[in-house]
Amino acid sequence: METAEKVNKGLKGLEEKVFDRGLCSACGACLSLCPYLRSWKGRVVKLDHCNLEEGRCFAYCPRTEVDLDGVYKSIFGKTYEEIEMGPVRRILMARAKDSLWTKKAQTGGVVSCLIDFALREGVIQAGILTPRDGDLLPQGRIIKGRKEILSCAGSSYVSGPTLEALNRGPWKGDERIGIVGLPCQVLALARMKTSTLEKRTPIDRVDLVMGLFCTWALDYKPLMAFLNERVDGRPIKKLNITPPPERILEVTSGGTLYRIPVDDIRSFIRPSCRVCLDMTAELSDISVGTVEGKEGWNTVIVRTAKGENLLKRAKNAGVIETRPLPKDNLSHLKEASLLKKRRALDALKEKGGIEKAYFTLSANLIKRILSEEATP
Amino acid sequence: MRSIAQNAPGKTMLLMGNEAIARGALEAGVKVCAAYPGNPSSEIIGTLAQVANEMGLHVEWSVNEKVALEVAAAASFAGLRGLCAMKQNGLNVASDFLLNLNLTGCNGGLVLVVADDPAGVSSSNEEDSRIFAKLGDLPLLEPAHFQEAKEMTKWAFEISEQLGLPVLIRSVTRVSHARGNVCLDELPQSSPKPRFDTSRPRTAFPASPNHKILHERFSRAKQMVEGSPFNLYRGPDQPELMVVTSGSGWMYSLEAVVNLNVQDRVGILKLGTTWPLPENFVLKHLKQADRILFIEEVDPFLEYNVKELYAQNCLDLGLKAFCGKVSKDVPDIGELNPEIVTQAIQNLIQVPYEPRPADYAMRAHEAGAELVPARALGFCAGCPHRATYWAVKVALALDGRDGVVLGDIGCYSLGLGPSGFGQMKTLHAMGSGTGLACGLGQLNRFGLEQPVIAVCGDSTFYHAAMPALANAYYNGANFLLLLLDNNATAMTGFQPHPGTGSTATGKEAPVIDLKAICEVFGARVEVVDPFDVAATVEVLLKLLQEEKGVRTLILKRECALVSAKRQKRLYLVEVDQERCLGETCGCNRLCTRIFKCPGLMWDKAVGKARIDEAICTGCGVCSEICPASAIRKEAA
Repeated sequence: METAEKVNKGLKGLEEKVFDRGLCSACGACLSLCPYLRSWKGRVVKLDHCNLEEGRCFAYCPRTEVDLDGVYKSIFGKTYEEIEMGPVRRILMARAKDSLWTKKAQTGGVVSCLIDFALREGVIQAGILTPRDGDLLPQGRIIKGRKEILSCAGSSYVSGPTLEALNRGPWKGDERIGIVGLPCQVLALARMKTSTLEKRTPIDRVDLVMGLFCTWALDYKPLMAFLNERVDGRPIKKLNITPPPERILEVTSGGTLYRIPVDDIRSFIRPSCRVCLDMTAELSDISVGTVEGKEGWNTVIVRTAKGENLLKRAKNAGVIETRPLPKDNLSHLKEASLLKKRRALDALKEKGGIEKAYFTLSANLIKRILSEEATP
Repeated sequence: MRSIAQNAPGKTMLLMGNEAIARGALEAGVKVCAAYPGNPSSEIIGTLAQVANEMGLHVEWSVNEKVALEVAAAASFAGLRGLCAMKQNGLNVASDFLLNLNLTGCNGGLVLVVADDPAGVSSSNEEDSRIFAKLGDLPLLEPAHFQEAKEMTKWAFEISEQLGLPVLIRSVTRVSHARGNVCLDELPQSSPKPRFDTSRPRTAFPASPNHKILHERFSRAKQMVEGSPFNLYRGPDQPELMVVTSGSGWMYSLEAVVNLNVQDRVGILKLGTTWPLPENFVLKHLKQADRILFIEEVDPFLEYNVKELYAQNCLDLGLKAFCGKVSKDVPDIGELNPEIVTQAIQNLIQVPYEPRPADYAMRAHEAGAELVPARALGFCAGCPHRATYWAVKVALALDGRDGVVLGDIGCYSLGLGPSGFGQMKTLHAMGSGTGLACGLGQLNRFGLEQPVIAVCGDSTFYHAAMPALANAYYNGANFLLLLLDNNATAMTGFQPHPGTGSTATGKEAPVIDLKAICEVFGARVEVVDPFDVAATVEVLLKLLQEEKGVRTLILKRECALVSAKRQKRLYLVEVDQERCLGETCGCNRLCTRIFKCPGLMWDKAVGKARIDEAICTGCGVCSEICPASAIRKEAA
């Protein structure tokens, strides 16, 4: 009988399976847990060798041996079976009522407004968001008030280690925490919650997970090198991608608006995004995205009772308004979500086979993803 | 009180070889002594510096070996006796002057002691300096023991004056650093008045006529060494094997012959004047044996020269077999010892001998382990260089462009090894880190993407890096220079230098400020305390991102041993074992497994770190790197 080689499930394993293969999504789950990993300009860097056979860095990573059925069962009580866009209790469109949120928002201001509402209602005492001010380098920030929430509104298209803020603190010790994250980050949060290793993080006090739709994110360092050249080294104030079919990256710098076709920056998409199955941040309480063709509105997927409750209270309190999501938009969303999964599976096939992927999933579910049409 | 300055003729003192050389110089009436420190030579000038005031000498630590030789030579030009000392690498630096000085000649006795370091125990190389004597047609003496070290030094001054040439003395570690009994002679009471004879310019130009004069002087030297008592033969009239040896090889050979009990079969020809050779003396003894074995440290210098002499006279001498480093009968690298010599002799004459067991060294190490705590070759507890390399490691990892650290000579050369987290990638001569950076820092135009860092200590900066830095600014090289300013020439024994504010004899001196020098070159200079690890990483990253030109960062923090001598402790440091994460995920012994300051210990019994209070110097750096804030520091 062949004896299986012992697989390292610590930093060594993380390095081999994630860093060396370019699969790090820079979610931040492995950071501030130990002195061996640090982030710099959107990249996670190994500083020293750690010889533990098992470690939290490996256990929390969204790109290491993720048992998808297991994770989904722990969070939702059911397997990965809802292949289109994960478990859905309700799907609708919504927007913040107060112009304070909509003015600064990328679309409907629902995320900012709900975090603000959850803080004011005492559902949570702290939020972890990703600031959009400063130098465009995303990193997590612990926020407790409205002004800070506003500084985090909008999209940056660049991924960064938001979750590090959870591990790093500082925390008083009794705060309930709400986190806004990308799909890779909400998967990492789910892994943190379900890990059997001794935690030493406040993950059990994370009471609200709001997911953001995501098709891909850009790698900060090469993107900035590219952009700096385009804008002659002047400071970059803002990035914006215009909606399809135009798809132009608008860069505001030194009073000039530079327009760069998105195709020119595709090479800076993180390789990790190309194997990501998740467009709609499935492992959240509430997932939020845009609504195609309906400017100023967010698509909102309610996935848990907790999410349902928060949304209901916010609506009753008059801070958001909702409408049913038009049928066309719903089917488009499902198609797009399934398409991302298929593309990821295709990419994995090219990279040595789905069976060697960073996740395990039953052959039946893989077959369904690859063959089923989205339900209308 | 033991002083080498006591005028006690006939008294016997236990002296280190280097002290014996210093005493020899005092007995010869030396007035001016200069050196740049370097092991194994440092104690010669160190010892003389201690008695400089009492003996009325000028003793100085010069900024480099070339300047040191120039200082001593100037005294000689003015009719005083001058001594210069250096290690083997130093002679390379001084050689440019030396190979002109041989043509200009000298006046007062001028002796240059070069202490070689076989096996490179405290050197970057294991160079044999003797070749310079041949290169420059200069007399060379090699002391074999302590008394001889003193006597030879005295005699070297005399023949230097008689020949008008500087005389080289070559010592090795086992002569310089071992101790033995030395019988003292009288110290001179009178002193000549110095005067530079302006009617006799000292210039090597025109070269050929001066070269001719040099050859005439060298011929006289040949005659002088013939009757020297430093050359002798011990053994039977017709030995089966004749050992030709010099320096420490004499004692090894004596011991080997006794060990093998072959006094009646093996003779030893000991040469103290190894260049020029005492030709008649050597030829006379070569006739006695057909097999010759050369025992000498580092290179086959005697071996080549004696064979050359033999070739000129082979018709008279008949066939001989020459054994040594060339024939591989003796190892041609590393340091000799009595066992190596014993085995070489035994192999050639086939006597029963039980060689030392192969595992002897290991067993000796094990036996000693109980008495001496195991210590890796690395930085001392509280060494600022450990903190510096830690910050460099972090900054380069974060920067992520595979930055190259070009090293230099000093304690910080240990940056090559685990103590410096393997950060340093080159090591050559004094100042070469900055020089190499001048070149590597020009390769961006060809596509080099790696950031370039040069490290350089304070003493090394004054010694040889300043010209390289001038070159860097002038030619627009692109690199980051880290000046590791620990306010001491630490590696060689804390000798003062132009930045320390005192001289070799303890006099107050102006401080030549590193920062000011760099700024004169037009550089933007930043200064940081390496003990503030976070600030150091930050400034390193900032300077690494600035892509253009030479950027200089001075990492200023006094050597821990210098601070400790003043009994100044920054912090009281302790480990809160309740908080210590030990081997668990989240730490995994960062302090004792990676940072590895000797002041930290792994307490196996409880699986936690603790402080070794006997060794900890209280720098507090470990409290900064501890991920669990378990290492606490309190102002001492």
